[in-house]
Amino acid sequence: MRATRVLLVDDEVAFTKNLSLLLSKRGHEVTAVNDGLAAMRVIEEKDVDVVLLDLKMPGIDGIETLKRIKKRNPRIEVIILTGHGSVDTAIEGVGSGAFDYAMKPFDLNELTERISKAFQRKLLREKQEGLV
Amino acid sequence: MEIAVPHSTTHHEPAHWRKKHYASLYVRFILLTLICSVLPLLLVGWGIYVYYSEFASERMVEYFQSQVQHHERIIELFFKERVSDLQLIAYSQSLEQLKEQKNLQRIFDIMNRDGSFFEDVGVQNDQGKHLAYVGPFDLIDKDYSQTFWFKEVMARDVCISDMFLGYRKVPHVIVAVTNSEAGQKWILRATIYTDSFRSLLEDVKMGETGEVYLVNTHGILQTTPRFGGKILDKIDLPMGAFTDRSGIRILDATTNDDGRTVPRQIVAYTWLNDPKWMLVVKQDYSEVFQQVNRANQAMLIFLHISIIAILIVSIITTKHMIQVVKDRDEEADELNRQLVQTSKLASLGELAAGVAHEINNPLAIILTGNQVVRDLADEQTDLEAEFRSQLYECLAQADGQVLRCNMITHNLLRFARRSKSIIEQVNLNNCVGEVIELMEKRAKSSGVTFHRNFDEKLPQVRTDASQLQQVFVNLFANAIDAHEGKPYGAIHVTTRADGRKGGVEIAISDTGSGIPGHVLERMFDPFFTTKPVGKGTGLGLSISYNIIKNLGGEIRVQSSVGEGTEFIIFLPFTPPETLAGSSYERGV
Repeated sequence: MRATRVLLVDDEVAFTKNLSLLLSKRGHEVTAVNDGLAAMRVIEEKDVDVVLLDLKMPGIDGIETLKRIKKRNPRIEVIILTGHGSVDTAIEGVGSGAFDYAMKPFDLNELTERISKAFQRKLLREKQEGLV
Repeated sequence: MEIAVPHSTTHHEPAHWRKKHYASLYVRFILLTLICSVLPLLLVGWGIYVYYSEFASERMVEYFQSQVQHHERIIELFFKERVSDLQLIAYSQSLEQLKEQKNLQRIFDIMNRDGSFFEDVGVQNDQGKHLAYVGPFDLIDKDYSQTFWFKEVMARDVCISDMFLGYRKVPHVIVAVTNSEAGQKWILRATIYTDSFRSLLEDVKMGETGEVYLVNTHGILQTTPRFGGKILDKIDLPMGAFTDRSGIRILDATTNDDGRTVPRQIVAYTWLNDPKWMLVVKQDYSEVFQQVNRANQAMLIFLHISIIAILIVSIITTKHMIQVVKDRDEEADELNRQLVQTSKLASLGELAAGVAHEINNPLAIILTGNQVVRDLADEQTDLEAEFRSQLYECLAQADGQVLRCNMITHNLLRFARRSKSIIEQVNLNNCVGEVIELMEKRAKSSGVTFHRNFDEKLPQVRTDASQLQQVFVNLFANAIDAHEGKPYGAIHVTTRADGRKGGVEIAISDTGSGIPGHVLERMFDPFFTTKPVGKGTGLGLSISYNIIKNLGGEIRVQSSVGEGTEFIIFLPFTPPETLAGSSYERGV
């Protein structure tokens, strides 16, 4: 199975730096950006499987970025990262098409589990669509 | 981060200001009540007084006038009868017959048959000489030619004299008539028995101070008044001339020559035709109006009692009203304090939410940073064993502290949510449906599917949707985790109304591994967890339990190992008062 292409979008530079290091080590192809517009540019240029998306960002916010990503390519699975302790924002994200959510600070193993589930789902859908 | 804590903005009115306010309110209330009730009362009282006084004085005047008329009639009738008596005798008897002493005596007896009216009787010639006389005095030789009554009877043929002493030196009245025989005038004269006449008036008792008497045109008393003066005394009565006929006057209080005070008197008078006497009815003003005064006094007392009663009632009512106002003010103050407290809590809650969010991001950075270091250390093979173990220990400690901070932010958020608890009409199908959507994809990739058995006619419930969703997330996450190791599974979510208990039920059953009995007993305890260290905080179910309990509901669980678990949540249609009262109600 090929490596998962992960796009990490978060305005905290230290966070994106750390997390991309960790995920790369665990066999993912990681691209990290710090705002929604940059994320959209990456989507245009590269094939991305899973997007880890922070909700609270300057410029266009997480939900808006999510909608644009889904509009551009519905196959890309998005996992929402939220610093809010409540599920309200997560519900909004999933309602707008996100696959799952994770609350900061998260357990790395749980996150990678969710990433791999999202990736599997994308593969499955691609397979189904290919068959059809 | 700048943190602005809102200041208390209550402006409590100073107590002394309030006191002054109440006092002025008190005075105003009482004044208003008095104006509204006492003023009309006084007006009515005054009206009654004026009307009644007028009415009473009219009645008094009428009474006096009737008294005067009554006595006038009696006296006039008396004299008329006496004159008729004499005229009858004079015209029915000849002078010869009357001159006969015996016959005159017989006639005299007949005259007095109906009562002792006449004292004596005499027959006189036109020279004023007695021709015959019957009576107790020795008057047979007296010459009457120069007396005033003789002159008058000769001129007018009829005479009723004023009271005079005459020869007998006793006050008396003479009635005389004339007749003529053969061109010769003769006179029949009789003396009225004054006692019988005087008693007609002198015995009249009008109250304590009333008197009736007669006065001639010269102001000489013709009867003895009850008070002051004697018959034939001259009195100074400021009455009008004979032509005035009759009238009624009020004499002001004066002091007599002898120093005696004469009180205010009411005097009614009328002039008789024959004799020309004035009949006077006199009584003290105060006695006449005694009854009126008594009635007025009673009314005054009643008025005073009424005013005092009104005053007392208005004071009591006002005190009561002021107390009500005070109570209201205190209630308002209390509400204000509560509001301030609640809004303080609410802003504290918002603050907490902000802080939690701001802290979660750095925590995530630290945690990932730790992992980066751990990864790097793992790659380094030439590290000293002691250094490595120390490093790992430090990293583990840092992880632990991050989790600890995470717990704090969690609690802060929980507090924030609780202080912002929003009670509203919630459609539980939608509420739980949203959470299912949230978890559905994650569950599906674990081979678990959600099944909705929703009661489409489920009534709405007044509750806190946000907190409930927290509970559903916890329960669903557990249900999904329970399928670990199983290739597929199902979570059934059922909603139904329970009219008997007055609420709705949400049942969440899974086909997972089930929960053993010893875990079931402790599963709602805080910090009890079956998950490996670092996974799960052990707070999920205890928080859920508390949330449901706070919302007035209950949560039950039944499970059999290997077959699955079912959580049943009951929620009442309306939350308990304590919760509803202490939180913001949206839309209310």
